[in-house]
Amino acid sequence: MLIFSVFKTLTDQQVTVELKNDLSITGTLKSVDQFLNIRLDNIKVLDEARHPHMMAVKNCFIRGSVVRYVQLPPSGVDTQLLEDATRREHVSQAKR
Amino acid sequence: MASLQGYVDHRVLLILQDGRAIVGIMAGYDQKSNVVLSDSKERVYSMDEGVEEIPLGLYLVKGDQIVLIGELDENADQAVDLSSIRAEPLPPIRY
Amino acid sequence: MDTSLAIQEPFDLIRLSLSERVFVKLRGDRELTGVLHAYDGHMNLILSDVEETIMIIDQHEGTTGEQHTIAKRKMDMLFVRGDGVILVSPPSR
Repeated sequence: MLIFSVFKTLTDQQVTVELKNDLSITGTLKSVDQFLNIRLDNIKVLDEARHPHMMAVKNCFIRGSVVRYVQLPPSGVDTQLLEDATRREHVSQAKR
Repeated sequence: MASLQGYVDHRVLLILQDGRAIVGIMAGYDQKSNVVLSDSKERVYSMDEGVEEIPLGLYLVKGDQIVLIGELDENADQAVDLSSIRAEPLPPIRY
Repeated sequence: MDTSLAIQEPFDLIRLSLSERVFVKLRGDRELTGVLHAYDGHMNLILSDVEETIMIIDQHEGTTGEQHTIAKRKMDMLFVRGDGVILVSPPSR
């Protein structure tokens, strides 16, 4: 839930999603769901010469399970807030 | 929510776990992101010749096989001369 | 710090590494170091100031043994999906 919230706060910001097939896609984060499926707008594939497959694709839906990394804009992430939220979530999980 | 709603009746490109690329019109989808494509074609990429399109017709793709669904810009897609494109097929997903 | 009291289950070790530099081993011969800011029960992670190391093993026919190439790159702020995580190790003290 925590990570889902983080992605929601990054809506409309520029991210780079790296997939488990080594494809990297940069775009504007339009939405995310609880599976961490991601919708990107105005996408650009890194190394397009080698990967022309997505040339005519302007926006896409990426299945959360195939994501390896997402590079986030550092300015959009409050690290102190994140750490506090992570500690709180840890406590609430321990109580279950 | 990262829903597929906006893609229904649009031309889309599906990338699958095994690296295949399939284009078609999204006829429908469900909660598990299973997708039905109409008038679909597989695009086979190779370094030796241009892109080959293999007609598949009405096609159901299981959600867990899908890597990515992209909305095709019709004009941009038609402007591409597939026979001139040389590229390796996309690699399969490796966990 | 008496860590033996504070650490009762595996995730406690990760909690105590928050805001510290950690080492992460991933599937696909990848390793990361970075400052840990968030994690969850899937071991999804958010790290900053990340350096990734990828080991590429080249098999050459006719030669004995294998050659290792190491590729490194840096990323400012990174979400790492938990299904690729093999281990998270706290900073050495």
